[in-house]
Amino acid sequence: MSDNRLARITHKAADALLIVSAIGLLMMTFIVGWQVFGRYVLGSSPSWAEQSALTLMIWFIFLGGAAGVRDGFHIRIIAIENMLSKPGRRKLRIASNLIVGLCGLAMLWWGGELVIRTWSHVIPSLGIPRGMAYLAIPIAGALIALFSLEHILDDPAEKTSVADIQGAEIQIKGGDL
Amino acid sequence: MEILILLVVLVILLAMGVPVAFALLGSAMATFFVLDIPMIVAFQRMAAGVSVFSLMAIPFFIFAGDLMYRSGIAERLVQIAEATFGRPRGGLGLVNVGASSLFGAVSGSAIASASAMGSTLMPLMKERGYDGDYAVNVTVTAAIVGLLIPPSHNMIIYSAASGIGVSIGDLFLAGIIPGILTAGLLMFVAWRVAIKRGYAGGRFPGWRSLAKAVVFAIPGLLTAVIIMGGILSGIFTATESSSIAVIYTMLIGLFAYRTLGLKSLFNAAKESVKITAMVMLIIGSATAFGYALAILEAPTQLASLITSVTSNPIAVLLIVNVILLLLGTFMDMSPLIVIMTPILLPVVMAVGVDPVHFGIIMMINLGIGLVTPPVGAVLFVGAAVGKIPVEDAVKSIWPFYSALILALLLITFIPQISLALPSFF
Repeated sequence: MSDNRLARITHKAADALLIVSAIGLLMMTFIVGWQVFGRYVLGSSPSWAEQSALTLMIWFIFLGGAAGVRDGFHIRIIAIENMLSKPGRRKLRIASNLIVGLCGLAMLWWGGELVIRTWSHVIPSLGIPRGMAYLAIPIAGALIALFSLEHILDDPAEKTSVADIQGAEIQIKGGDL
Repeated sequence: MEILILLVVLVILLAMGVPVAFALLGSAMATFFVLDIPMIVAFQRMAAGVSVFSLMAIPFFIFAGDLMYRSGIAERLVQIAEATFGRPRGGLGLVNVGASSLFGAVSGSAIASASAMGSTLMPLMKERGYDGDYAVNVTVTAAIVGLLIPPSHNMIIYSAASGIGVSIGDLFLAGIIPGILTAGLLMFVAWRVAIKRGYAGGRFPGWRSLAKAVVFAIPGLLTAVIIMGGILSGIFTATESSSIAVIYTMLIGLFAYRTLGLKSLFNAAKESVKITAMVMLIIGSATAFGYALAILEAPTQLASLITSVTSNPIAVLLIVNVILLLLGTFMDMSPLIVIMTPILLPVVMAVGVDPVHFGIIMMINLGIGLVTPPVGAVLFVGAAVGKIPVEDAVKSIWPFYSALILALLLITFIPQISLALPSFF
């Protein structure tokens, strides 16, 4: 891992995003659990439960997805990358990061438009604008653009993570596949 | 013409190593641009694709599975499987299949199963003289069984993608017998190959340690009972019962097993969020991609192409299976479910195939895609855990592929294998 400043900041940012997202998942768990409890024990199901759980999920999917761009945990194909020489690999990675970054900018721009258009639509049970749920898209888009810019300027490592799950951190070195 | 743009851009982006989610989104956006459709529609579809109540079960299944794994249940499931299947030659191969099937009942993801079973069993297998390629072959193909044994988050995706509200409870029930069948076929192959290679048999660990393992595993396996019971009785929705399952696994991990601390609980949440984000972002992008396909009328064209060739149900199912197998080799499972279900389901339903039955066919078919190169997430994870190159693992995997294909054919052409169990409820 590079020790330059941008990398340190984005590393912290990605970790913060995951922590916030994890809290979101925990909240979502207890909200849906509370909904069941409310229906069978208290005799009435809170009307806000379902929509707020869904809104939380939309937020942590996109924020977590942005963190995934920084930490490189999204599923991707590295077969061709591994056939190339080191400089070729570097160029290909710049190109693919550029595309991810452009997708991020598109999420920022048109996702933002989506937020504006859905702002007047109020979710009845929550009383907040529908756009509030979708606000996660442009925010994640901006972060994704930032994170891919960082990867373009400074390739994180020769390592590519194919999967990083269940506590078994599986990091696959370039030549292994 | 435009469809070519969509597909060519997708293939190029995937080959370049762009993450699947962004390759789908990027190619959809390129097509929207060429067709002059307002770009905001792509993001509308993406947002709509993830704003689905039933999909909330996905993070819960992943979370519950991760918590179970951290509670140390994987080892106990292995012990139970060892006592049951461990004695014949190649016993650990059979144990692997059996334990993966049990693990499938507490976790909904094949990748999670391959990594959990791989890290638990592969060192043991190597220690007892099994070759690395055999260990990887068994582990990755056995992980596919977990896709069929409920709970399975891919079935939730299928139910949402079907657009006709295929019952999640029926899908879960329908997967049980096909899962056991597939496990049986894989065990047979694992046993035959082990005899050929001359692997030793195992010992019975004794009733005492079996009893201990069973006692330890029961609270964990009850998770599956809670989920199934909740859904089947109609008391809970799939989402509700999976959230109860998460809270339940937290409680037994913290207080009954005492193997979970607050820190590992939070780490489990972080890991689950990662996998959820990965899967759901792909679902969102695949929804936008599928919309682009629909505008280009690709679904109706493919459907009329298939039905113009034949209207024989057997032939239609064969064609559909071949299409899915081909797509599955270079595409991941969840985007294919999102994209292909709306296209293929009407085609097979027109020749009288039950949507629940077709869901099970899709699970095992696309599951096979997860263990075939060039793109096979489960195969890659398995090889990484086994520390051998993917090429070495693939060289000797053919008998296991044969078992999976045989299972696919049986499941495809004998609908009762899937539909017998749901018909009781």
